Amino acid sequence: MIKLFHLKHVDWLDSQLIYHALPRLNQEGLLILAPSSPYVCIGYHQNLEQEVDLDYCREHNIPVFRREVGGGAVFLDGDQLFYQLVLHKNHPLAGGSKADFYQRLLQPVVDTYQELGIDARFRPVNDIITAEGRKIAGTGAAEINDHIILVGNLIADFDYETMTKVLRVPDEKFRDKVFKSLTENLTTIKKELGSLPTWDEMAVPLIHHYRNLLGPLGESQISDQIRKKADALKAEYLNDEWLFLKRRSLSHRDIKIATDVNIIQHVYKAPGGLMKANYELKDEKIQSLSLSGDYFCYPSDVDRQIEKALEGKNLKEVSGILEEYYFHHSVETPGINPSDWAKVILG
Amino acid sequence: MAMIEGFEFPDELYYTSDHVWAKVDGNIVTIGLTQFGQDVAGAILYVEAPNPGRQVAKDEAFMSMESGKWVGRVKAPVSGKILESNSELEWESDRVNKDPYGAGWLTKLENGNSDELKSLLRADSPDLAKLISEEKLKYKK
Repeated sequence: MIKLFHLKHVDWLDSQLIYHALPRLNQEGLLILAPSSPYVCIGYHQNLEQEVDLDYCREHNIPVFRREVGGGAVFLDGDQLFYQLVLHKNHPLAGGSKADFYQRLLQPVVDTYQELGIDARFRPVNDIITAEGRKIAGTGAAEINDHIILVGNLIADFDYETMTKVLRVPDEKFRDKVFKSLTENLTTIKKELGSLPTWDEMAVPLIHHYRNLLGPLGESQISDQIRKKADALKAEYLNDEWLFLKRRSLSHRDIKIATDVNIIQHVYKAPGGLMKANYELKDEKIQSLSLSGDYFCYPSDVDRQIEKALEGKNLKEVSGILEEYYFHHSVETPGINPSDWAKVILG
Repeated sequence: MAMIEGFEFPDELYYTSDHVWAKVDGNIVTIGLTQFGQDVAGAILYVEAPNPGRQVAKDEAFMSMESGKWVGRVKAPVSGKILESNSELEWESDRVNKDPYGAGWLTKLENGNSDELKSLLRADSPDLAKLISEEKLKYKK
């Protein structure tokens, strides 16, 4: 039987440490909790200094944590209810493709939103959105030892302003854009329903729907063994070596092939996701452009269409073509604007 | 080349139950994700290439990759010292999806214990066919 740890508000560190401890103790569990004070949490493969305005965080006493789960930097606080599910990799519900896993294990969250009166739905690979297409939950997953961990939140309310301030951005104009994009593309229960839900209004249906999926859940407290493991992990996770670990280098690489031929590889983090552009630049003209990333496009081939539109074009024409493309086509790319495409292409 | 459930498994490679392949060339073992493994993972957005020189144990989760905000671990099929990692994957991680047995290779290990290969599966092994069929069935649910 999977253990249920319904902890409500806990010390901010425990909101991360306990689910990191369970797989190391070979224990399955469902944690329902929230941090009692805010903090910033970055993804496993991120570079802290690249993602977070550390000066701002220090000035405002906002601690920072690097989780072993994927995704980007987020501002987490007590207005978000977190579910953290730790399943052994051989659990019948843990199998299959990642997309299927997310869909199967996030259904209780979708059902909870429905019960709250919000017409939410799953969008592959791992998003939960409203009928209008706004994101209303954060999700992520990790493999630790022989377990798969699914984490996510129900967003009762969200501090858009602080989220925007804790991120490291190139300039204030960009920060304004992040704020605008976040407020437009990320919604909350309060925004959707007009009032803040109580804890039980969120937690009770969520536990009910997870129980329907996972079977009986044994209500549990944090044991001494879990406490000891979590405390031992604390030293590792708060260590500067772990926090400042150098991961992906979000930058540029230009390889000169001949005098007028370069192979360009750019990576750019837009509000709507990580973007990558690879192409050959010959006589200032783009050839064999390939765009990829973890952004969302509707229709799904927007990036393919942009690749076609820019093939053979001069770098100077890129921004204009992109603006024109967006003007003439009905496309949705949340958190990604023509200028973001231009940035990943032009560097 | 064996075909199992529509996925390719080259004859010359060794396989683990975690969908990692190993190619042996003397005492150099090149490893990667199988065509089935990359299909299960989905579009891979980031590969963390481990630094050369590090010693890894057989079955140790020694490198990671990310797809759909999911951090997956790659376990070493054999023990050995890391000789080289595919640094191109930092820029073109989708090579793992597009060419899992070629340009999408992950890392090369120097392995001194050929006995460890005996525990790995071969393309014509009924156990590999059974594993892939079972996994396929599992994720069709």
